[in-house]
Amino acid sequence: MNGLVVSLVKAVVILGGLLTTAGLMSLAERKVSAWMQYRIGPNRVGPFGLLQPLADGIKFIFKEEVVPNGANRLLFRFAPAMAALPAMLTIAVIPFAGEIVLFGKSYGKLSIADIDVGILYLLAIGSMGIYGIILGGWASNSKYSLLGGLRASAQMISYELTLILSILAVIVLAGSLDLRRIVEVQANVTQWHVWRQPLAFVLFVIATFAETNRHPFDFAESEPELVGGFHTEYSALKFGLFFLGEYAAMTVMACLTTTLFLGGPSIPFFPDAPWVLGFLAFLAKTSCFLFLFLWVRWTLPRFRFDQLMRLGWKALLPLALLNLVLTGVLVSW
Amino acid sequence: MVIVKRKQLSLAERVYLPEIVRGLSITFRKMFVPRSTRQYPEEPLPTTPVTRGQPRLVVKDDGNIACVSCGLCEAACPAYAITIDGGETDRPIEREPLRFDIDMLRCILCGFCEEACPKDAIFMSDELELADYSRKALVYDMAKLKRPRRDLARRIQYVDEINDRWKTSSST
Repeated sequence: MNGLVVSLVKAVVILGGLLTTAGLMSLAERKVSAWMQYRIGPNRVGPFGLLQPLADGIKFIFKEEVVPNGANRLLFRFAPAMAALPAMLTIAVIPFAGEIVLFGKSYGKLSIADIDVGILYLLAIGSMGIYGIILGGWASNSKYSLLGGLRASAQMISYELTLILSILAVIVLAGSLDLRRIVEVQANVTQWHVWRQPLAFVLFVIATFAETNRHPFDFAESEPELVGGFHTEYSALKFGLFFLGEYAAMTVMACLTTTLFLGGPSIPFFPDAPWVLGFLAFLAKTSCFLFLFLWVRWTLPRFRFDQLMRLGWKALLPLALLNLVLTGVLVSW
Repeated sequence: MVIVKRKQLSLAERVYLPEIVRGLSITFRKMFVPRSTRQYPEEPLPTTPVTRGQPRLVVKDDGNIACVSCGLCEAACPAYAITIDGGETDRPIEREPLRFDIDMLRCILCGFCEEACPKDAIFMSDELELADYSRKALVYDMAKLKRPRRDLARRIQYVDEINDRWKTSSST
C-alpha cells in the first residue's frame, strides 16, 4: 500500500513535470527564435510571457474542431492521442535521480518504473509515436497530410536504425539494458559515455533530431511543400495534442541523451552529492539538449528528402555499424 | 545552355558538422545583440512640433474656444471631414459654432484647417491614436475636440514661428 502511494506520487510528479516542460518548450521555442532574429518574443502574458503556454492551451480548447469531409473519423480522432501517448509512457523508465531520502526514509530511486530492460521498453514504445503521425496523415483524406505522414514514417524508420545502433555501442560498454545500470557505470566524469563513445554520441544526437521530426529533418511538417504535413487538417485540441506530443518527445529524447551519454544525475568531481543536487544536475543537462533542439532549428535550413535518405543510409548507418564493431572488438579484447 | 559550376567542397564542408557549428555560433552570438524593438503602447513614438496629428480646438485661458464659425476650415478641408453650424453669442466675437464636428475617419491629417483658420482656433495636435467600436463614435464633436492651450503649446509656438517668418519675408 505504502509502495503504491509512493509510486503514484512519483508518477504524478514526473508526468506533471513532463507536461510542464512540454508547455514551457513551446514558449522557449518562440523566445529563442525571437532572440536569434533580433526580436523580443512573447512577453505580454504573465512575467516574461511565462503564462503564454496557458493562454495557448485555453485557446486550443475554445477553437472549433474541424473534421474534414471524407476523413476516417475514428482514426482521425485517435491519431493525436497516439502521437502524444508514447512520450508520456517512455518517460516512466528514465532514472532522474538516485536514492530519494526524505526525513531519513528512503523512497527508492526517482523513476516511475524500474524495468530491467528499460532501454528496450523505451525504444519499443517510442517507435509507436510514428503511428500517430501516419494515421493522422492517412485519416485526414488530404494529399498533403498523406505525403507528410509517409515521409515521416520513411524517415523515422531509416533513422531508428542509426539510433539503436549507436545506443547498442553504449549498451556494449555498460553491459546492461537497464538504464539505472547504465547511469551507475558513469558515476565519474571520466566514465561518461560522451568521452568513451564520441562517435556514437554525435550519431545519436543527429538521429534524435530525425526521430522527433525536428528541424533540419522536419519533413513530416515541411510547411513550404506540404502546407502543414500530417497536421494540416487538424485544429483545436487535436492539433494541440500533436504539438504537445512533439515537445514531450523532444523532452524524453533529451532525458535519454543525458542518461545514456552524460551520466544522468552524476555531478562532475562530486560523486557523493545528495539526490536533490543530482536531480538538478539532470535537469540542467537535459535543458542544454532541449536548447540544442531549438538552437539547431533556428539556424539550419531544411534538408531535401533525398539528401535526408542519403545521409541516413549512406553516412550515418555505416558509421554506426563501424562504431559498434570497433566497440565490440575493443571490449572483447 | 547554362553551365553551372559547382564549387568543389572540401572534406570539412562535406562532413557538415564543422559548418553546422559555425552556423550555430553565429545564431548564438546574435541572441545577445541589443534589440531595437519599441514596446509600443508603453513606449509611444516620440513626437516633434512638426508632427501633424489629429486636429483639435484650442480652449483659451478664459474657457472659450476662439472659433467664430467662419467656415474657412470647412471649405479648405479636402476630405469634407468638417461640419460646422454657426450661431450667435453674447461674447464680443458675436458668433460661435453650435456644432463643430470632425469625422476622424475622413480626416487625412493634412493640416489645411490649421492653415486656413484666421482666429488660431484649430491646431494639429500630436495625438495619433484612433480606435473605437463604431464609426459614429469616431465623428468627434466639440466636447471631444477641445484641448487646453498647454497641451498644444508646442505646436502653437511652432506655427507662430512659421507665420512670423512669412510676415517678415513678405514685408521686405
